[in-house]
Amino acid sequence: MTRRDLLALAAAPVLQAAPDSPVAIGRCASYQEDVARVLARMFDQLGGLPRLVRNRTVTIKLNLTGNPGMRFQGQPVGVTHFTHPKVVGAVVHLMGEAGARRVRLVESAWATSGPLEEFMLDAGWNVRQLKSAAPVVEFENTNALGLGKRYVRLAVPGGGYLYPAYDLNHAYADTDVFVSLAKLKDHETCGVTLSLKNCFGNTPASIYGDDAGEHEPNENPTKGRLEVFHHGRRPPSKSAPQELHPESSREPGYRVPRVVADLAGARPIDLAIIDGIESVAGGEGPWIKGLRLVRPGLLIAGLNPVSTDAVAAAAMGYDPRAPRGAAPFTTCDNTLLLAERKGIGSADLTRIEVRGVPLAEARFPFAG
Amino acid sequence: MVLPLLLALLAPADWIPARWPWIDSASLDLLKEVPVNCLLLEWKPDRDHAAFARAACERGLVTLGVLTPGPDLLANARSAAKVHPAGLVLEGDFAADLAEAVRRETGVLVIEMTPRYRMRLGQGQPVVATNQGVWPGVQTETGGAHKAGPTGGVWIDTNSGFLRAARGWGDSVLWIGNRPPAGAVIPGARYLQAIADAALAGARWVLALDDVFAQALRTGDATARAGWQRVGRLLRFLEQHPEWRRLQPAGQLAIIQNAEAGALLSGGIVDMIQVKHTPVRPVPRSRLREEALAGVKMAVNVDAAGMTDAERAVLRAFTRGGGTLLTGPPGWKSEGVHRPDRITLDKDEIDRLDQMWREVNQLIGRRNLGARLFNVSSMLSNLLTSPDGKQTVIHLVNYSGYPVESVTIHLLGEYRRARLLAPDAAEQNLELYKTDEGTGLDIPQVGVWATVSLE
Repeated sequence: MTRRDLLALAAAPVLQAAPDSPVAIGRCASYQEDVARVLARMFDQLGGLPRLVRNRTVTIKLNLTGNPGMRFQGQPVGVTHFTHPKVVGAVVHLMGEAGARRVRLVESAWATSGPLEEFMLDAGWNVRQLKSAAPVVEFENTNALGLGKRYVRLAVPGGGYLYPAYDLNHAYADTDVFVSLAKLKDHETCGVTLSLKNCFGNTPASIYGDDAGEHEPNENPTKGRLEVFHHGRRPPSKSAPQELHPESSREPGYRVPRVVADLAGARPIDLAIIDGIESVAGGEGPWIKGLRLVRPGLLIAGLNPVSTDAVAAAAMGYDPRAPRGAAPFTTCDNTLLLAERKGIGSADLTRIEVRGVPLAEARFPFAG
Repeated sequence: MVLPLLLALLAPADWIPARWPWIDSASLDLLKEVPVNCLLLEWKPDRDHAAFARAACERGLVTLGVLTPGPDLLANARSAAKVHPAGLVLEGDFAADLAEAVRRETGVLVIEMTPRYRMRLGQGQPVVATNQGVWPGVQTETGGAHKAGPTGGVWIDTNSGFLRAARGWGDSVLWIGNRPPAGAVIPGARYLQAIADAALAGARWVLALDDVFAQALRTGDATARAGWQRVGRLLRFLEQHPEWRRLQPAGQLAIIQNAEAGALLSGGIVDMIQVKHTPVRPVPRSRLREEALAGVKMAVNVDAAGMTDAERAVLRAFTRGGGTLLTGPPGWKSEGVHRPDRITLDKDEIDRLDQMWREVNQLIGRRNLGARLFNVSSMLSNLLTSPDGKQTVIHLVNYSGYPVESVTIHLLGEYRRARLLAPDAAEQNLELYKTDEGTGLDIPQVGVWATVSLE
């Protein structure tokens, strides 16, 4: 057994989320409101943050998709397709208040292995404010090795849909609590971008990017991740586990939801938070034609990502159990059901207790 | 008596030019809101400019007759000079000796507004001008998305790289007289960007209104009027700081490039570096002296072929002094430099430059060569300093059509004070904080133009 195998074993997750874990919905009309107060109430409705984070390292995966310079109708990225920095700041603050030993903000920043702080500055974020939101706040760009010395191999329990394991930045293993802080929005390839799809970005472009090294990771990636995961036109770096079924479909609508479900098994999400205060509908970013600004005024959180995403999808006006061909999964398989099938959580609304704002009152149809 | 006095007071360096489509005196009322003081009037023998020119003169305005290539040029020039004694503009691709002939014949100032490849740079002209330029701005698609793929950056069309390169020849008064795209309806904000794009490099855009905007303005359309007033405010703001035009490019990166290597084309290496917001000092190879590289740590010699011994000696001294020198691909020449219809590199040329760009990009990396800017993808910037180093400014131009919030600048070195100057806003002191590289500051919002003045 190699050192890498040992690490993978040590990092192998234990599925602990209940399939019918409750989900909290909070109403927050704009980012000018007291976001922290709304979130604090929601976390209390879920049993309280201290129980989850006290004296622990908390890693928060943000949703900072694409080039931070791309704006939709000139809006700050936080009100369109990025998690808003005020939500991030509020979550970090509450984590610190709840006794987290260390809060680490992570994202595989698009097309760069440079510091995440600089990526955030390019998005117009006030990094100094974020740094002071809790006693110890760290930042890591997980698009390559980052501050780690080696990648960690996280196996998909029971075997993956597409890959048996994924090589990720150390931050996804060197943590006690993993939070997916996502955005409430549609996704062209995957139907919806919620807490599960957010973790597609756990994967480093150094290994899974279009310009990943053939044999070893490319520590200076400058491209996105379409060729390996979406289209299966090239394998990841040979240093990483390879595809289980190379003969399987190369269609993005088949592949991406399976990668997402795999990743949710390999790196379990302990807390899912979805920023739906302001967002975009019709796609995941400014490069999608027909995008629209929307203001659902919602925050959604839960301890189980599948259940949380199911409630979020319902709040968006969708059937979270919709089959392929029905909105929002018009051209793709349903990630939530793929994850449910792997035992990660339940997407069955009849089994999920919603706390806070009732789902019926929270509904904000995203479909045009 | 009044006219010579006015002309003496208003030197070409002070002229704020506009192409004026009207010759009725009432149109001059529009200039109550805009500080344009130099009107370029297309000369037509059958069009009587005299009354208009007199009315303009009474208001302290300069008029220039614009002549284009054609028959009877000298005769037309003589007639035009009588009406426009302040000067004439020869616009277009004139034979080289014609401008001199017009000067001799008329005795008035003659501004040559030529294609870029014919610009008389570094020859002591009172005004160096071209009528060629791209129309500045961010390219956008329907729906407001910037024209770029999911993994692409925002593309900015700009003349500023060319103008910055042209300024390297030492001319202090530089005009760019490109017109709005034919048939386009230009919103007021785009005029601001055209003005700002030129001013970023210390040049002046010769204001030119598209037909629809011009007509709307004359008929009192409220939107056009508001756009016109914004034009006025921006021009007034820029004219309040003539000292900015005398500042020199700062930073530790120099691009050595002559016209043959594409210095006067848009979309080349200077524009590529500008997009990275790395301060860059364009140095024409013919002006390559040791003092031109003072303070420079990296230099890119775009075309090493045919260098003189003296030029090689300067670069040898630079590298011996610890400077890093990067040389362009062998035989690099742009086919477009001698073609009157070409002002941008074509795709093949960009592909050929790509290798050099990759190396430059790698060389620069995340290094701070004077300033690093964040959240500026829709902007271009220019770091400038006075010869004595006492005044440093960084200009920002936002091409997006929307204000951008929360811009961060990390400056190399220590600064004690920073002031934000912008049109339509009161001067503001900015908080400075320490960074690994020196000094950091945050700008709350940038409209079309912002300047940070540093001490």
